[in-house]
Amino acid sequence: MLVLKYEKTARACFISHIDLLKHTERTIRRAEIPVKFSNGYSPHALLFFSAPLALGVSSKAEYLAIDADMSASELLARYNTSCAEGLKASKVFECSKNPNLQGKVVASDYIFPIKYHDIDLSNGFEIEYVRKGETKKEEVGSKIFAVKNVDGKLCLCLATGNTNLRPDRLLGMLNAMFGANMKATDIVKVAQYFKVDDRLIEADEYLDNLE
Amino acid sequence: MQSFDDKLNSILLNVEKPARYVGGEWNTPDMTKHREGDFCFCFPEVYEIGMSNLGVAILYDIINKEPGFVAERCYAPWHDMGEEMRKHDISLFSLETRKPLKDFTVVGFSVGFELLYTNVLYMFDLAGIPFRAKDRDESYPIMLAGGPCSVNPAPFADFFDVIVCGEGEVADLAILKIVTEGKKQGLSKSEILARIKNVQGAYVPALHKDGETVVKAVIPDFENAPYPEHPLVPNIEAVHDRATVELYRGCASGCRFCQAGFWYRPIRERSAERCVALAKEMVESAGFDEISLCSLSTSDYTGLEQLEEGLSAFCKEKNVNLSLPSLRISSFKPEMAKDVKKNSLTFAPEAGTQRLRDVINKNVSEEEIEKIAVAFEAGYESIKLYFMMGLPTETDEDLDGIVEICKKLKWLYYQKRHKRGLNISVSCAVFIPKPCTPFQWEAQISLEEMHRRQMYLRERLRAVKGVSFSYHGAETSVLEGALARGDEKLSYVVEKAYKLGAKFDCWTEYFKWDVWQKAFAECGLKMEDCVGAIDTDKALPWDFIDTGVSKKYLLAQRNLAYQGITTKNCREGCNGCGANKLGRCTIC
Repeated sequence: MLVLKYEKTARACFISHIDLLKHTERTIRRAEIPVKFSNGYSPHALLFFSAPLALGVSSKAEYLAIDADMSASELLARYNTSCAEGLKASKVFECSKNPNLQGKVVASDYIFPIKYHDIDLSNGFEIEYVRKGETKKEEVGSKIFAVKNVDGKLCLCLATGNTNLRPDRLLGMLNAMFGANMKATDIVKVAQYFKVDDRLIEADEYLDNLE
Repeated sequence: MQSFDDKLNSILLNVEKPARYVGGEWNTPDMTKHREGDFCFCFPEVYEIGMSNLGVAILYDIINKEPGFVAERCYAPWHDMGEEMRKHDISLFSLETRKPLKDFTVVGFSVGFELLYTNVLYMFDLAGIPFRAKDRDESYPIMLAGGPCSVNPAPFADFFDVIVCGEGEVADLAILKIVTEGKKQGLSKSEILARIKNVQGAYVPALHKDGETVVKAVIPDFENAPYPEHPLVPNIEAVHDRATVELYRGCASGCRFCQAGFWYRPIRERSAERCVALAKEMVESAGFDEISLCSLSTSDYTGLEQLEEGLSAFCKEKNVNLSLPSLRISSFKPEMAKDVKKNSLTFAPEAGTQRLRDVINKNVSEEEIEKIAVAFEAGYESIKLYFMMGLPTETDEDLDGIVEICKKLKWLYYQKRHKRGLNISVSCAVFIPKPCTPFQWEAQISLEEMHRRQMYLRERLRAVKGVSFSYHGAETSVLEGALARGDEKLSYVVEKAYKLGAKFDCWTEYFKWDVWQKAFAECGLKMEDCVGAIDTDKALPWDFIDTGVSKKYLLAQRNLAYQGITTKNCREGCNGCGANKLGRCTIC
């Protein structure tokens, strides 16, 4: 199993997850990567994605597990010559088994382009957002795992996966708190985390050491 | 100040499927190359539909392959995007470089269907381009239209500077070069138009004199004509999201209601070798997992077996599915379905009785319908049947014939498979008399009669288990009929309808029948009058276009129809329609 780390930036941030699946399958086909297929009536390529990214949000750290027999360096080179703008890969990891990206990734770091502020989460954090035309209120303090300072910018570590917090849903609250005018396209995901024995391990580190 | 991209990004977050508006598709040609002149291809429907259009893909590719010239694209923004653009004062722009339409050398619309006319105006409106050619000076691009609706350009001719009648492969690039050169020399709009008039197929309404003829544009060498071997890969799933190979142009069947069958003559086939090479190149360059074969009647293609042989190993190796659309019953061979997934068969008998099929020259006999049994043996369990209602001379007996065909198929299925459970889906369109067909003078049945016949058939098909029935909207069919054969006056109706709120008329949920009725009334016209029978002596708005097929031939075909006499398939021998004067029929 090979795991590709790729970006989703520029125009590609407007491509939905469901369309990304098809895009990637086509990229793999163009690159002539010998991906294995399932054995069913309608065989499909054995590709496994990390959790969906909210539409409009960019990312420097998306992961894709590919079941193919080929060298890691060749995969990276071939993928990069065949992928569309904004979806370039930066790294590839060799793993002996499927890392189960969707199931085991529990958190992600997102950078919001405002000055770092220490946000007090001890009293919770209530957000308000519009979903299907309805304004909803939600207490999300427990889904914000850390408030970090990355090069002077605000970086939040948010729940990802089965328990999930979309970074764009925090925008209303953050903009009001700090007098900013950020929108979803300004947010960048920079890291994902696996959970091992109640500890968060950065995905690159986890995949590098995966037996 | 906020940059255009920033402004666009913030509105993209407020609309459905923003990937419709961002471009950047795989295989996008080099947009940074030196540009002497540029062409924006507009398709008056949403991205998913426009990206499926092979015609635009071919023409886009031709211009981009030409040094010094660039083609870009633009599709109709969905309602939400249109509103956001108005609110934020964003003028309609191209996908590739986000350039406003107004700033292109030529803007060309592909008009493929009568119900898209209001969307053309919607796009003009969003681009800030005045609707009528006479209201546009040199500062605007040359506005061009082409596509299947150029058979009768009268209802939209006033909106455009040039209409390409026929195939744009040669004409579009020639026109772009003329306009580029003319602008460089500082020529006036009418001087440029006068030069364009010499291009075959170019109809310039402003300079057209009574009695002049426009000869339909036809590509001389179809075999080697440019083809988009590196097609754009859609950002979001398109309606036809696959590698499409065009096998041939024209059709040998000569069905008397079919506009495409007459308009795309002469028949020109592409060799199986070239089709195989194109299909492979498209799959490899785009990464598609499906190849579809495109033509008016794919199973009539001479090289079909050779083509399948040439592709089957490739498809197996690459996990690519080969799909075979628009099969005619008379040419179905079980070998063809051997390696294909047996989802559903599609057949188009078009009429329920032999008598009526003879009238419309759909050369499908009862015995041939019985041949469908072969497909049941091959493993098919569901079948789609296409019919038309309201055909000339049709009676209720012909509608009963549709029910009989369904019953017969069920019986055949039972005979072959010894079980019940065949799914039949019957789809019934309403006959629309179209220009450039032997039925161009016919009346369309009234709206009330359409409703009656639809209900009549629905009731009778309901009694047959396993049959589902769908039918086209009667109101849209009347409108389509009225616009198809309309004259210049209809352009005022279209404009009025757009101003009253009509757009995306192809979408049932957005079709506004009351608006169209009001638009006709305010222009002093009655829709019913536009769909009545036309006297054969009367001059027709599209008479000035020489399609190759003479009016005399169409009239003779009409007479044969009334006598119930069929005309043989062109592959069995030339019927002398006249189209070969515009180019050699490669099957003769």
